[in-house]
Amino acid sequence: MIFGKIKMIITIIMILGLSGAGLYVMKLRSDNAILKANQLKLEQSVESQKKVLEQQKKDFEAIMESNKKLNKLVATFKKDLDDLDKRFNKGKRDVGKLAIDRTKAVERIINKGAENAARCVELASGAEHTEEELKATKKSEINPECPALANPSYVNYE
Amino acid sequence: MNKILLIAMILLLSACSIGEKRIKVFSVEEPRAKLNLPMPDALTLEKLRWIIITSENASEVFAKLEAEGIDPVLFGLTDKDFEMLSKNFAQIRQKLQETNNLLEEYKKYYESEENK
Repeated sequence: MIFGKIKMIITIIMILGLSGAGLYVMKLRSDNAILKANQLKLEQSVESQKKVLEQQKKDFEAIMESNKKLNKLVATFKKDLDDLDKRFNKGKRDVGKLAIDRTKAVERIINKGAENAARCVELASGAEHTEEELKATKKSEINPECPALANPSYVNYE
Repeated sequence: MNKILLIAMILLLSACSIGEKRIKVFSVEEPRAKLNLPMPDALTLEKLRWIIITSENASEVFAKLEAEGIDPVLFGLTDKDFEMLSKNFAQIRQKLQETNNLLEEYKKYYESEENK
Protein backbone atom coordinates (compact mmCIF):
# COMPACT_ATOMS: atom_id res chain seq x y z
CA MET A 1 0.00 0.00 0.00
CA ILE A 2 2.75 2.39 0.98
CA PHE A 3 4.78 1.36 -2.06
CA GLY A 4 1.77 2.00 -4.23
CA LYS A 5 1.45 5.56 -2.86
CA ILE A 6 5.18 6.19 -3.28
CA LYS A 7 5.01 4.95 -6.87
CA MET A 8 2.08 7.25 -7.53
CA ILE A 9 3.88 10.24 -6.02
CA ILE A 10 7.02 9.49 -8.02
CA THR A 11 4.97 9.13 -11.17
CA ILE A 12 3.21 12.45 -10.53
CA ILE A 13 6.56 14.14 -9.84
CA MET A 14 8.02 12.68 -13.05
CA ILE A 15 5.00 13.79 -15.08
CA LEU A 16 5.17 17.28 -13.55
CA GLY A 17 8.92 17.41 -14.14
CA LEU A 18 8.59 16.32 -17.75
CA SER A 19 5.76 18.75 -18.44
CA GLY A 20 7.74 21.52 -16.68
CA ALA A 21 10.77 20.74 -18.82
CA GLY A 22 8.60 20.67 -21.92
CA LEU A 23 7.06 24.04 -21.06
CA TYR A 24 10.50 25.45 -20.33
CA VAL A 25 11.82 24.29 -23.71
CA MET A 26 8.78 25.81 -25.42
CA LYS A 27 9.36 29.06 -23.58
CA LEU A 28 13.01 29.03 -24.65
CA ARG A 29 12.04 28.46 -28.26
CA SER A 30 9.53 31.30 -28.11
CA ASP A 31 12.15 33.59 -26.48
CA ASN A 32 14.61 32.59 -29.17
CA ALA A 33 12.12 33.47 -31.93
CA ILE A 34 11.45 36.86 -30.29
CA LEU A 35 15.19 37.51 -29.97
CA LYS A 36 15.74 36.62 -33.62
CA ALA A 37 12.96 38.98 -34.69
CA ASN A 38 14.41 41.72 -32.48
CA GLN A 39 17.85 41.18 -33.94
CA LEU A 40 16.44 41.49 -37.46
CA LYS A 41 14.63 44.70 -36.55
CA LEU A 42 17.77 46.04 -34.91
CA GLU A 43 19.83 45.33 -38.01
CA GLN A 44 17.21 47.00 -40.20
CA SER A 45 17.14 49.97 -37.85
CA VAL A 46 20.95 50.29 -37.89
CA GLU A 47 20.87 50.16 -41.70
CA SER A 48 18.19 52.85 -41.94
CA GLN A 49 20.07 54.98 -39.38
CA LYS A 50 23.17 54.69 -41.53
CA LYS A 51 21.22 55.88 -44.54
CA VAL A 52 19.76 58.79 -42.55
CA LEU A 53 23.23 59.80 -41.37
CA GLU A 54 24.60 59.64 -44.92
CA GLN A 55 21.72 61.78 -46.19
CA GLN A 56 22.24 64.26 -43.34
CA LYS A 57 25.92 64.49 -44.25
CA LYS A 58 25.07 65.12 -47.91
CA ASP A 59 22.45 67.74 -46.94
CA PHE A 60 24.91 69.49 -44.66
CA GLU A 61 27.52 69.61 -47.43
CA ALA A 62 24.93 70.96 -49.88
CA ILE A 63 23.89 73.67 -47.39
CA MET A 64 27.52 74.66 -46.82
CA GLU A 65 28.12 74.79 -50.58
CA SER A 66 25.04 76.98 -51.14
CA ASN A 67 26.06 79.33 -48.34
CA LYS A 68 29.56 79.60 -49.76
CA LYS A 69 28.19 80.39 -53.21
CA LEU A 70 25.83 83.06 -51.88
CA ASN A 71 28.54 84.65 -49.73
CA LYS A 72 30.82 84.78 -52.77
CA LEU A 73 28.02 86.37 -54.77
CA VAL A 74 27.39 89.03 -52.11
CA ALA A 75 31.14 89.78 -52.07
CA THR A 76 31.10 90.36 -55.85
CA PHE A 77 28.12 92.71 -55.38
CA LYS A 78 30.10 94.81 -52.97
CA LYS A 79 33.06 94.92 -55.35
CA ASP A 80 30.83 95.92 -58.30
CA LEU A 81 29.33 98.77 -56.25
CA ASP A 82 32.78 99.92 -55.12
CA ASP A 83 34.00 99.85 -58.74
CA LEU A 84 30.98 101.88 -59.81
CA ASP A 85 31.67 104.41 -57.08
CA LYS A 86 35.30 104.63 -58.19
CA ARG A 87 34.20 105.38 -61.75
CA PHE A 88 32.39 108.49 -60.48
CA ASN A 89 34.69 109.57 -57.67
CA LYS A 90 38.19 108.21 -58.37
CA GLY A 91 40.75 110.70 -57.11
CA LYS A 92 39.34 114.18 -57.60
CA ARG A 93 37.20 113.18 -60.57
CA ASP A 94 34.13 115.37 -61.09
CA VAL A 95 31.81 113.91 -63.72
CA GLY A 96 29.91 117.21 -63.99
CA LYS A 97 33.05 119.17 -64.89
CA LEU A 98 34.23 116.45 -67.24
CA ALA A 99 30.84 116.55 -69.00
CA ILE A 100 31.17 120.33 -69.50
CA ASP A 101 34.72 120.05 -70.85
CA ARG A 102 34.29 116.95 -73.00
CA THR A 103 30.54 116.73 -73.54
CA LYS A 104 30.49 114.36 -76.52
CA ALA A 105 33.04 111.93 -75.07
CA VAL A 106 31.27 111.72 -71.70
CA GLU A 107 27.91 111.29 -73.45
CA ARG A 108 29.36 108.37 -75.39
CA ILE A 109 30.80 106.80 -72.23
CA ILE A 110 27.54 107.24 -70.34
CA ASN A 111 25.48 105.70 -73.12
CA LYS A 112 27.85 102.74 -73.33
CA GLY A 113 27.71 102.35 -69.54
CA ALA A 114 23.90 102.47 -69.56
CA GLU A 115 23.83 99.82 -72.29
CA ASN A 116 26.17 97.60 -70.26
CA ALA A 117 24.13 98.13 -67.10
CA ALA A 118 20.93 97.19 -68.94
CA ARG A 119 22.61 94.01 -70.20
CA CYS A 120 23.59 93.20 -66.61
CA VAL A 121 19.92 93.43 -65.58
CA GLU A 122 18.93 91.12 -68.44
CA LEU A 123 21.57 88.58 -67.37
CA ALA A 124 20.54 88.86 -63.71
CA SER A 125 16.97 88.09 -64.71
CA GLY A 126 18.13 84.84 -66.34
CA ALA A 127 19.04 85.80 -69.92
CA GLU A 128 21.43 83.49 -71.77
CA HIS A 129 25.05 84.66 -72.21
CA THR A 130 26.26 85.40 -75.71
CA GLU A 131 29.37 83.65 -77.10
CA GLU A 132 31.37 86.89 -76.82
CA GLU A 133 30.40 87.29 -73.18
CA LEU A 134 31.39 83.72 -72.36
CA LYS A 135 34.72 83.93 -74.18
CA ALA A 136 35.75 87.38 -72.94
CA THR A 137 38.98 87.21 -70.98
CA LYS A 138 40.54 90.63 -71.65
CA LYS A 139 39.59 93.81 -69.86
CA SER A 140 38.70 95.42 -73.19
CA GLU A 141 36.21 92.63 -73.94
CA ILE A 142 34.31 92.47 -70.67
CA ASN A 143 31.21 94.23 -69.40
CA PRO A 144 32.77 96.44 -66.71
CA GLU A 145 29.43 96.99 -64.97
CA CYS A 146 29.17 93.36 -63.80
CA PRO A 147 32.16 91.27 -64.96
CA ALA A 148 31.50 88.42 -62.51
CA LEU A 149 28.00 88.00 -63.88
CA ALA A 150 28.55 88.77 -67.55
CA ASN A 151 31.97 87.26 -68.20
CA PRO A 152 32.57 84.02 -66.27
CA SER A 153 35.89 83.39 -68.06
CA TYR A 154 37.37 86.72 -67.01
CA VAL A 155 39.72 86.66 -64.04
CA ASN A 156 40.42 89.96 -62.37
CA TYR A 157 43.96 89.98 -60.99
CA GLU A 158 43.71 93.42 -59.38
CA MET B 1 -27.76 16.07 -29.83
CA ASN B 2 -26.09 18.48 -27.45
CA LYS B 3 -22.94 18.43 -29.58
CA ILE B 4 -24.88 19.31 -32.72
CA LEU B 5 -26.58 22.15 -30.87
CA LEU B 6 -23.21 23.43 -29.63
CA ILE B 7 -21.70 23.40 -33.14
CA ALA B 8 -24.79 25.11 -34.55
CA MET B 9 -24.58 27.76 -31.79
CA ILE B 10 -20.89 28.41 -32.51
CA LEU B 11 -21.57 28.77 -36.25
CA LEU B 12 -24.48 31.11 -35.53
CA LEU B 13 -22.43 33.34 -33.24
CA SER B 14 -19.38 33.42 -35.50
CA ALA B 15 -21.55 34.04 -38.57
CA CYS B 16 -19.46 31.65 -40.64
CA SER B 17 -16.50 34.00 -40.20
CA ILE B 18 -14.08 31.25 -39.32
CA GLY B 19 -11.47 31.00 -42.07
CA GLU B 20 -12.66 34.22 -43.73
CA LYS B 21 -9.87 36.41 -45.06
CA ARG B 22 -9.80 39.83 -43.52
CA ILE B 23 -9.10 42.97 -45.58
CA LYS B 24 -5.71 44.36 -44.63
CA VAL B 25 -5.68 48.10 -44.30
CA PHE B 26 -2.29 49.66 -44.92
CA SER B 27 -1.15 53.19 -45.68
CA VAL B 28 1.36 54.18 -48.36
CA GLU B 29 3.05 57.55 -48.07
CA GLU B 30 2.34 59.56 -51.22
CA PRO B 31 5.03 62.20 -51.84
CA ARG B 32 3.82 65.77 -52.19
CA ALA B 33 3.43 66.91 -55.79
CA LYS B 34 6.23 69.14 -57.02
CA LEU B 35 5.44 72.78 -57.67
CA ASN B 36 7.44 72.83 -60.92
CA LEU B 37 6.59 76.40 -61.88
CA PRO B 38 8.51 77.56 -64.95
CA MET B 39 11.30 80.03 -64.33
CA PRO B 40 10.26 83.58 -65.23
CA ASP B 41 11.24 84.85 -68.67
CA ALA B 42 14.43 86.89 -68.84
CA LEU B 43 14.04 90.63 -69.29
CA THR B 44 14.68 92.32 -72.61
CA LEU B 45 15.20 95.98 -71.89
CA GLU B 46 14.60 98.85 -74.27
CA LYS B 47 17.65 100.81 -75.35
CA LEU B 48 17.60 104.41 -74.23
CA ARG B 49 19.75 107.38 -75.05
CA TRP B 50 21.33 109.79 -72.61
CA ILE B 51 21.90 113.36 -73.79
CA ILE B 52 24.27 115.61 -71.92
CA ILE B 53 23.13 119.19 -71.96
CA THR B 54 25.25 122.08 -70.72
CA SER B 55 24.67 125.84 -70.80
CA GLU B 56 26.88 125.92 -73.87
CA ASN B 57 25.31 123.24 -76.02
CA ALA B 58 21.66 123.63 -74.88
CA SER B 59 20.40 125.51 -77.96
CA GLU B 60 22.29 123.16 -80.27
CA VAL B 61 20.77 120.08 -78.51
CA PHE B 62 17.22 121.46 -78.69
CA ALA B 63 17.63 122.43 -82.33
CA LYS B 64 18.88 118.92 -83.10
CA LEU B 65 15.88 117.41 -81.32
CA GLU B 66 13.49 119.55 -83.32
CA ALA B 67 15.28 118.63 -86.52
CA GLU B 68 14.82 114.92 -85.65
CA GLY B 69 11.11 115.55 -85.05
CA ILE B 70 11.41 114.97 -81.29
CA ASP B 71 9.68 117.28 -78.80
CA PRO B 72 12.31 119.77 -77.63
CA VAL B 73 12.01 118.80 -74.00
CA LEU B 74 14.44 116.90 -71.77
CA PHE B 75 13.98 115.36 -68.32
CA GLY B 76 17.13 116.30 -66.45
CA LEU B 77 19.37 114.97 -63.76
CA THR B 78 22.38 116.63 -62.15
CA ASP B 79 25.68 114.74 -62.23
CA LYS B 80 25.16 113.69 -58.60
CA ASP B 81 21.62 112.48 -59.29
CA PHE B 82 22.90 110.53 -62.28
CA GLU B 83 25.44 108.86 -59.99
CA MET B 84 22.66 107.97 -57.51
CA LEU B 85 20.50 106.60 -60.32
CA SER B 86 23.37 104.40 -61.53
CA LYS B 87 23.95 103.06 -58.03
CA ASN B 88 20.23 102.42 -57.48
CA PHE B 89 20.06 100.60 -60.78
CA ALA B 90 23.08 98.47 -59.79
CA GLN B 91 21.47 97.61 -56.46
CA ILE B 92 18.20 96.57 -58.12
CA ARG B 93 20.14 94.38 -60.52
CA GLN B 94 22.06 92.78 -57.64
CA LYS B 95 18.86 92.09 -55.71
CA LEU B 96 17.38 90.45 -58.81
CA GLN B 97 20.48 88.30 -59.23
CA GLU B 98 20.50 87.35 -55.54
CA THR B 99 16.82 86.36 -55.58
CA ASN B 100 17.26 84.29 -58.74
CA ASN B 101 20.28 82.54 -57.23
CA LEU B 102 18.38 81.79 -54.02
CA LEU B 103 15.55 80.31 -56.07
CA GLU B 104 17.98 78.12 -58.00
CA GLU B 105 19.68 76.93 -54.82
CA TYR B 106 16.33 76.05 -53.20
CA LYS B 107 15.25 74.21 -56.33
CA LYS B 108 18.54 72.32 -56.43
CA TYR B 109 18.31 71.39 -52.74
CA TYR B 110 14.69 70.29 -52.62
CA GLU B 111 14.20 68.99 -56.15
CA SER B 112 17.53 67.35 -56.95
CA GLU B 113 17.63 63.73 -58.20
CA GLU B 114 18.70 62.47 -54.77
CA ASN B 115 15.70 64.04 -53.03
CA LYS B 116 13.13 62.72 -55.48
